[in-house]
Amino acid sequence: MAIDRKKVIADMAKVEVLGNADGLIPGFNVFVTQLPAAFWNRFAERLTRQVSEDLLEAAEWLLVNAAHECGYHTGYGIITSEEWKAIVGPMVEKVPDDILHGAFAVFTAWGWAKSEVIELVPNERMVVRAYDYYESDVVSYGASTKFSAYMIRGVCAAFMDLAYGGDYDPTGETGLRTFQCQQTKGIECGDEYGEFVITRA
Amino acid sequence: MAVIKKTEIELVHKFNSQTCRHTLNGHTSVLHCHHYATLYSRLADDCGMLDGRKLLFECAEDSFLEVLCSYYAEQGIDSIEDRIAIAEQYYAVTGLGKMNIKCAGAESGEVELLHSHVDEGWIKKWGKRDSAVNFITCGYIAAVFSAVFDHPARSYTVAEFASLVKGDERSRFNVVLA
Repeated sequence: MAIDRKKVIADMAKVEVLGNADGLIPGFNVFVTQLPAAFWNRFAERLTRQVSEDLLEAAEWLLVNAAHECGYHTGYGIITSEEWKAIVGPMVEKVPDDILHGAFAVFTAWGWAKSEVIELVPNERMVVRAYDYYESDVVSYGASTKFSAYMIRGVCAAFMDLAYGGDYDPTGETGLRTFQCQQTKGIECGDEYGEFVITRA
Repeated sequence: MAVIKKTEIELVHKFNSQTCRHTLNGHTSVLHCHHYATLYSRLADDCGMLDGRKLLFECAEDSFLEVLCSYYAEQGIDSIEDRIAIAEQYYAVTGLGKMNIKCAGAESGEVELLHSHVDEGWIKKWGKRDSAVNFITCGYIAAVFSAVFDHPARSYTVAEFASLVKGDERSRFNVVLA
């Protein structure tokens, strides 16, 4: 693997993100916010804990979908950004494999999840492990029976969409949701790490 | 009464290289884009499972109340003017938009937005719509008034009666002690 994860994480973690004079953070073709992780966790956890059992899957799908679209559009913005070209671009030898490894290094650097690709079958399947992620903060004691990493699931699937789902489509009508992700392990469930399996949709 | 707002928010941003987490003034923080915020807002708006708007409002209120109260306590920010200035600045530096708290009392207040992440993100993603959608900011405003006037969460109701997303020149909110 040509990607120097440590260097990408160290360099990308330094990128300063603050609102401009209009209180907005335009970047990577999107508007960005830098909010407390607790806010996003609260909404996801209260929603999924309050809906009836027969609606849980639908609620979880909506949360995953929000991250899936976010990951697809922002992910594309990241891998076409000047920051990416300067820091990750020179390390990319094998496309799209190295782009995926680089994307997860950026994913790590920006505080979404300390994660890496541990298995990649091009165009078919990817396995990602996350050793620390804010979505596991919903459990402070004991182990949950419910996986909670909806954001990671969505973004993992989105990154595979970008790698193997065809040309990027700004409308999201094609290219998006060609892959899906299941969480198979979770820190919030007592596992040592979170594990995510991404396959064709 | 004219108010000169001079207090500048102090931001301490740290990256923990072991956990790879970012903190802003001690709170784990994370970057997300307008697709994420607007899809959460649409989920709340469309939610037939429960009152999603109230849920998003309360999650924002609880989260930002923690942030503001801890900042005021740690920095010794006691005056109403300074507390309001900090709340407006925090809203802006985190990318939520440009907020102007036009007036504030323990019983009521008026707030406006000149720019808004949620509204402008919604327009960028789906175009304008005919009803307000900034439940996150309503929760933020409730948190601000509770933090400024030392009330617990759920003390204030916030109604958005003009919205950037509807094509209004600015978003406008009325705040009332519940």
